[in-house]
Amino acid sequence: MEKSLQTGLVGPVSLAIEADQGRFNLRVARGNRSTVSETIGFDLPVDIGAKAQNVRLDALCLGPDEWVLHCDDGDRHVVVADFAKLYDQAPHSLVDISDRERSILVMGEGASTLVSTGCPIDLRDMPVGSGKRTIFDCAQVVLHRDGKEHFRMEVARSFAEHVWSLLNIANAELATGL
Amino acid sequence: MSLYRIRGKGRVDHARSITFSFDGHRYTGFEGDTVASALLAHGVHLMGRSFKYHRPRGPMTAGSDEPNALVGTRRGEGRFEPNTRATVQEIYEGLTTTSQNRWPMLSLDIGTINDRLSPLLAAGFYYKTFMWPKSFWDRVYEPMIRAAAGLGISPNEEDADRYATRYLHCDILVVGAGPAGLAAALTAARSGAETVLVDEQSDIGGTLLTEDAIEIDGAPSWNWLKAVRAKLDMLENVRVMTRTTAIGYYHQNMVGLCEKVTDHLTSPPEHAPRERLWRVRAGRVVLTQGAIEKPLVFDGNDRPGVMLAGAAQTYLNRYGVRVGDHAVIATSHDSAWYAAFDLADAGIRIGAIVDTRTDVDRTLMRQAREREIDCLMSHTVTGTTGRRRVKSVRVNPVAGDTIGRPTRLFCDTLLMCGGWTPSLHLFSHTQGSLEWDAEAQVFLPGKKSEACHIAGAGRGLWGIANAFTDGAKAGAAAAKAEGVKVQPRGFMCRKDRPGGGVPHKELPTDRNPGKARAFIDFQNDVTAKDIRLAVREGMRSIEHVKRYTTTGMATDQGKMANMNSLMIASDAVGKEAPEVGLTTFRPPYTPTTFGAFAGYQNGVHFEVTRKTPIDDWAEKQGAVFELVSNWRRAWYFPQAGEDRHRAVARECKAVRHSVGIFDASTLGKIEVVGPDALTFLNRVYTNALDTLAVGRCRYGLLLGEDGFIRDDGIVSRIGPDAYNVTTTTGGAASVLNMMEDYLQTEWPDLNVWLTSTSEQWATIALNGPNVRKLLAPLIDDADVSNKAFPHMSVADCKIAGIPARLCRVSFTGELGYEVNVPARYGRELWEILWQKGQQYGICPYGTETMHVLRGEKGYIIVGQDTDGTITPGDAGMEWAIGTKKTDFIGKRSLSRPDIVASGRKQLVGLLTDDPRLVLEEGAQIVADPGQSIPMEMIGHVTSAYWSETLGRSIALAVVQGGHDRMGETLHIPMPGSTMSVRVSDTTFFDPNGNRLKV
Repeated sequence: MEKSLQTGLVGPVSLAIEADQGRFNLRVARGNRSTVSETIGFDLPVDIGAKAQNVRLDALCLGPDEWVLHCDDGDRHVVVADFAKLYDQAPHSLVDISDRERSILVMGEGASTLVSTGCPIDLRDMPVGSGKRTIFDCAQVVLHRDGKEHFRMEVARSFAEHVWSLLNIANAELATGL
Repeated sequence: MSLYRIRGKGRVDHARSITFSFDGHRYTGFEGDTVASALLAHGVHLMGRSFKYHRPRGPMTAGSDEPNALVGTRRGEGRFEPNTRATVQEIYEGLTTTSQNRWPMLSLDIGTINDRLSPLLAAGFYYKTFMWPKSFWDRVYEPMIRAAAGLGISPNEEDADRYATRYLHCDILVVGAGPAGLAAALTAARSGAETVLVDEQSDIGGTLLTEDAIEIDGAPSWNWLKAVRAKLDMLENVRVMTRTTAIGYYHQNMVGLCEKVTDHLTSPPEHAPRERLWRVRAGRVVLTQGAIEKPLVFDGNDRPGVMLAGAAQTYLNRYGVRVGDHAVIATSHDSAWYAAFDLADAGIRIGAIVDTRTDVDRTLMRQAREREIDCLMSHTVTGTTGRRRVKSVRVNPVAGDTIGRPTRLFCDTLLMCGGWTPSLHLFSHTQGSLEWDAEAQVFLPGKKSEACHIAGAGRGLWGIANAFTDGAKAGAAAAKAEGVKVQPRGFMCRKDRPGGGVPHKELPTDRNPGKARAFIDFQNDVTAKDIRLAVREGMRSIEHVKRYTTTGMATDQGKMANMNSLMIASDAVGKEAPEVGLTTFRPPYTPTTFGAFAGYQNGVHFEVTRKTPIDDWAEKQGAVFELVSNWRRAWYFPQAGEDRHRAVARECKAVRHSVGIFDASTLGKIEVVGPDALTFLNRVYTNALDTLAVGRCRYGLLLGEDGFIRDDGIVSRIGPDAYNVTTTTGGAASVLNMMEDYLQTEWPDLNVWLTSTSEQWATIALNGPNVRKLLAPLIDDADVSNKAFPHMSVADCKIAGIPARLCRVSFTGELGYEVNVPARYGRELWEILWQKGQQYGICPYGTETMHVLRGEKGYIIVGQDTDGTITPGDAGMEWAIGTKKTDFIGKRSLSRPDIVASGRKQLVGLLTDDPRLVLEEGAQIVADPGQSIPMEMIGHVTSAYWSETLGRSIALAVVQGGHDRMGETLHIPMPGSTMSVRVSDTTFFDPNGNRLKV
């Protein structure tokens, strides 16, 4: 781990920076959703916050015409090529943002408490398998809930150290049981 | 055993003795004691001096409404807090406390002189007394008043504690864990609703912590409480939070809670926060905050030993402490009778119960007689004696308007009760309306503005059984509103002590009321006659009276004072209380530390410091950093012994002569993609972009609707429908927002999307005549020769095997490239370039050198050379405007009369007559230095540097009609001297741009 991310703090929740992965911002008119769905092999989710996936790709709906796609880091060129074929039929914007964010894993008993030290949303309304664009402290994050006490926070690269550090401080606070 | 502690009595743990100190003396108390209860157990009443008159004071209450017993607390270095309420602070081993507002010591205080001068120091005295001589105000009076004012000593060490924050969402939030709150929570919990119950005290129970004799559901109240606590703790859907104060009630049921996490612990764990601020969003809020006891207003009602009756009862029953040996009770409410009975039963001699009313319930009289307590009905209190402790009380019978002869009752404790005020603070925060109950003479909650319920004494009910019933109903109503029907839980209360009382203005006296020191606001030393004086001086509304007298303006927000001052003000004005009004309560409910509000946001976390992927490298090289918006950027890279000037001169030289490397990762980047991308960009930027081919870049200038320059950057066409635009570092977010705003509101028909890629890329700028020599060998898959890849070109390629987007652009005037690589590779590529560049003497440079180099070329920096009123014409940038374009943002404004008028401030170059003088940025410019002051200023310097390349200073400036002043001499008056400058073109170096084209 980079030196700047070493805090020397420990707590009950496991915190980790996820390995590099493919990440795209997809913008496409809703009317062209079915064309895109055919190409990727599954239906792009319609509801904001909903997710869908197949073995290669997952898609989280962030806005009326906005999705964030994830794939293995090594599969990025395949995704780019697939969408390029689609452009004339379904004009869209597919922008590689794999390096724009870093992904922080927050896992284990107390994870939701830890997330709520800086995130104002009601996690009770966030089902497992959904995602949301929200904030943590001053940073915009895309929060994924992969399990009841298992979150992923995608945060802009230059904000990651700040968010990481705050999570570690709060985690050490959880360890005191107070 | 301390003298005034009753063995085995109370909720304190008599087996756990705790030692703490007060003003250097060591005292012992028990676990569960507050500083006040532990001191009272030793017979110590004198705990502070009052704010204005420095009168000796003791605790008036046993809770958070305490106005008098404010102390400093200390837990070692960086952990001092002034104005801590001794009635709230729990003791722990080693706690150090000190009294305040006294010098040299609490028992002998020089400031007491103010009390003797009190006739001079009435309300508003500083408006009148210090009017003459006028000059004395600034130098003598105000500093003196300021030095004398203020409570406690402000800590001057950095706070060593941590503070935390947390968000919480629940269905039902119950504020106050007394009988009504417990009933509400127990009922709500049955519905399965997620319920949060908060209370500022160390345990749940509220008034039940004082009322130990009552029986609930067949059990003594404390046994019942214990069982209820255990039950609530077990319930999955209930969270009980003690030592947690609801400090503010905000919009849409957001309630702020301040939890004191470690202030009661002997040794807090290392990473535990001292306090935690909770932001709770609740479906329904149930306010069960109870009522606050009012003092009676009579001469000498503030001496140590004079205390609220309910407080004495609490000290007795909850802490096992007798507040004195001989007590007199003065009251207008039944509750004090019960306090008298409890005290009498504990062996305290009750001199008399002095009641202002003619009559009380017969059972009260009977119970008093059983205890052989004298009852003086229809009596008033007209004075007390005793300096550091009350010694006697003077009482007189009242018959109609006639006040009879006084009697003196000796006592060491005077317990008073003027009734109870429903606690409306949080409800008042919501701007809910208040209704005046003319019969009870109290304000009650009226129309609600939030989804809340109010129950118990907080809405004027009295008696514990009533509170239980009302609370249960509120709990059921809250649950129903959350969608679950549940029956209010029933509670069987025995030995309840219901009752009532009458409110008063100041008590009638046979003495001169103008001389009575009858306090209303104990913390701000406001007396009844101050209120009457304010009315005499023309104040009619309570808001004016408050500001004139400062009543209710202390840190307790007049919890005890407000109703008494209103009663007196309304009597003086001759109108009903509601016509005089009630002042607004504002958050926080009780004083809250700045630390709690700051939370995690202190030190390095005060604000995010954004760092680029190359930041580490720069730090290792000893770079000096500067903050640019939230980014920290390398400012310059000093070598051993270099100051900024020398470092920058060296860096500039390296770029002009060989090659410099610069971290430009902070530039904003936006990917603009879609069939209408070109249309969109043409409307956004002033420049003509139709002819921009794939693989080419163009400068882009962005205006506001007003025609003034907002931002600039480079537009690169990376595909038929795909563009990348850069923005200034500081403009990244605002430009994206502006573009999205136009796209979503003005041009929703356009098929184009914007994505921020600022942080996707690490951007390394390479500048200097040797750059191509460095770069070309690292690139296999693209021809970067001048012919194939001229100035303003863009291509995707691999550099040293790393996928990159290469732009040939320059902000220095030298041959320049910007290499963009995915952020993860930024540091790696930088190191490669650094190594391979050694043969050319590659030099890292910072933002200062970048500024100088662009200054030499006259390239503007938006925000430095522009100030929000500069048009492209003013900046000499008409070339950037696509004149054939039908429209772009700001186009219409460019033909406004003001914009085309002559005499506008225009950007020019300045050359000092003395080439060694570097002007100061921001310095004002005049045409004639011989004018008298104030001179007519015709512009100012926007950028000024030493140019190592030119061996002289250069500057940019905006000057009225500057473009027509070429060659003119202007002047810059500075302290001590006036500098003369010659107006020049803005391009100082390589005016034809030949160096870009090599």
